[in-house]
Amino acid sequence: MNGNDTVSVTKVRDVLMVTMPADPDDSMIDSLQERVLQAMERYSPKGVILDISSVETLDSFFARTISETARMVTLMGGRTIVVGMQPLVAVTATQMGLTLGDLETALSVDRALDRYGVQASGQKGRG
Amino acid sequence: MKTLEKSSTKVRKHEGSGSGNDTSELMQSLINSVRDYAIILLDTEGHVLTWNSAAERLKGWTAGEIIGKHFSVFYPPEDVENGKTQLELQTAAREGRFEDEGWRVRKDGTRFWANVIVTALRNKNGVLQGFGKVTRDLTERRANEERISRQAQELMEMASVPIVQVWEGVVLVPLIGMLDSQRTQQLMERLLQKITETGSPIALVDITGVPTIDTQTAQHLIETVSAVRLLGAEVVLTGLRPMIAQTLVHLGVDLSNVVTRASLVAGFRMALDRLNLAVTSKGQAV
Amino acid sequence: MSTATGNWSTGELSIKGDGDIVVARRAVRQAATQLGFSQSEVARIVTAASEIARNVYRYAGEGVMRWCPVEKGGQRAIEVRFVDHGPGIANVELALTEGYSTGGGLGMGLPGAKRLTDELEIDSKVGQGTTVILRKWRAKEGHVRN
Repeated sequence: MNGNDTVSVTKVRDVLMVTMPADPDDSMIDSLQERVLQAMERYSPKGVILDISSVETLDSFFARTISETARMVTLMGGRTIVVGMQPLVAVTATQMGLTLGDLETALSVDRALDRYGVQASGQKGRG
Repeated sequence: MKTLEKSSTKVRKHEGSGSGNDTSELMQSLINSVRDYAIILLDTEGHVLTWNSAAERLKGWTAGEIIGKHFSVFYPPEDVENGKTQLELQTAAREGRFEDEGWRVRKDGTRFWANVIVTALRNKNGVLQGFGKVTRDLTERRANEERISRQAQELMEMASVPIVQVWEGVVLVPLIGMLDSQRTQQLMERLLQKITETGSPIALVDITGVPTIDTQTAQHLIETVSAVRLLGAEVVLTGLRPMIAQTLVHLGVDLSNVVTRASLVAGFRMALDRLNLAVTSKGQAV
Repeated sequence: MSTATGNWSTGELSIKGDGDIVVARRAVRQAATQLGFSQSEVARIVTAASEIARNVYRYAGEGVMRWCPVEKGGQRAIEVRFVDHGPGIANVELALTEGYSTGGGLGMGLPGAKRLTDELEIDSKVGQGTTVILRKWRAKEGHVRN
């Protein structure tokens, strides 16, 4: 769980780890997009892992930004996996009719890293 | 009592109906005073001969209006068309009595659920003289029964469905009954929680226990699939028997985005496959 | 922002910058939690409020959010009211249909907010402004309201 109040962007081997804080404001959500695209350009990673396990509220703006960012990442040759959505957030989003389109999702950062073929801890996790 | 006088019209005296007028009058009084049973006499053809106050209360006609009419006016049109009324009389004549529960019609056209006993009345030579018909209004009892059965159904459905892990990475939801908004809310919350706790990428949702599928339940299933996807897991919908498959297609429900299998076994096999697992034999089965 | 200590269930907050959308969410979260709503009910009203608060900021530039509890027939609701003097919505019905949007993307968030709440009232006049009222009723014990 990210204790910070800011969006953190870290490069882990060939993958960009982006961690969102619990209740980001709109400018943080905007900066998510900017920083991801900048990092895509700078590092040419295989893709992005967006960790939203701390996020308490997902509204249409946040969902839209995530979708758009993923599409931009694809255009830049990368892949996006959204990780760790909280059950309550997922239920609320579904009831609202929000989808993330055909965005990839994974249960945990470990599993997302597996998909990229990156062994962060030296052990292969379960698929 | 006004009604008493009105109803106490022609009463055909039966052979062996008792000793003397006192009993006969008392019997008359009984028939007229009984509130819960419409007790009437029909002739051999089925025309109404006598009426009592309960009959008036229950069916709406006064004695003056109904006596002489055929008793098929008490029946819904579909029953008359099917010849049910004749069948009742014939059965009663043959067997001595006929009992039935079914819809009957009042004078104003409204229906009520009735228990009806038709008894063949014969003289001491065994010649059919007419029929006695006792009708009881069971509408309230039927409403109670339906309510109890509905409550039992609801109770059963409200009881939480167990969500169990059946293998590392696989949880199973054996659905019973239909899905309304309330149940879907609870189901989604609990299923997603379990998926997160156990780290299971596959959720087998088995609908063998769902009696029929309607648009609402289908939509709620699709909702559940969406929510599970947002988490990073996947639903395999199992238990799609032929009738359910037919209904879904006829309803125009789009499940093309969902992995579905007819049986839970097939679904489990698919789950293992997705997880890159296989079941191997250790040798001779026990 | 309401600074009443202890009682968060009533208050008022001005929406002037995009940072206020988060503040609005937190205020509604505190209020709904204090009023005894379940976690899932809180999530719904907070998300709905977030949508409308953002509308106020994006379309009107500024406005006010007021919230308070409501009692009716032994049942309790939270009412969250948004008032702005912005351009107004020309066609409210259209704005409430799914997928409609003037700003690009998922639409004005109104359809979503409507799905998540029990009642949504809009009063809008072009050139004068908009009032949106959200209400969520608390479920009776043992039931979940949707």
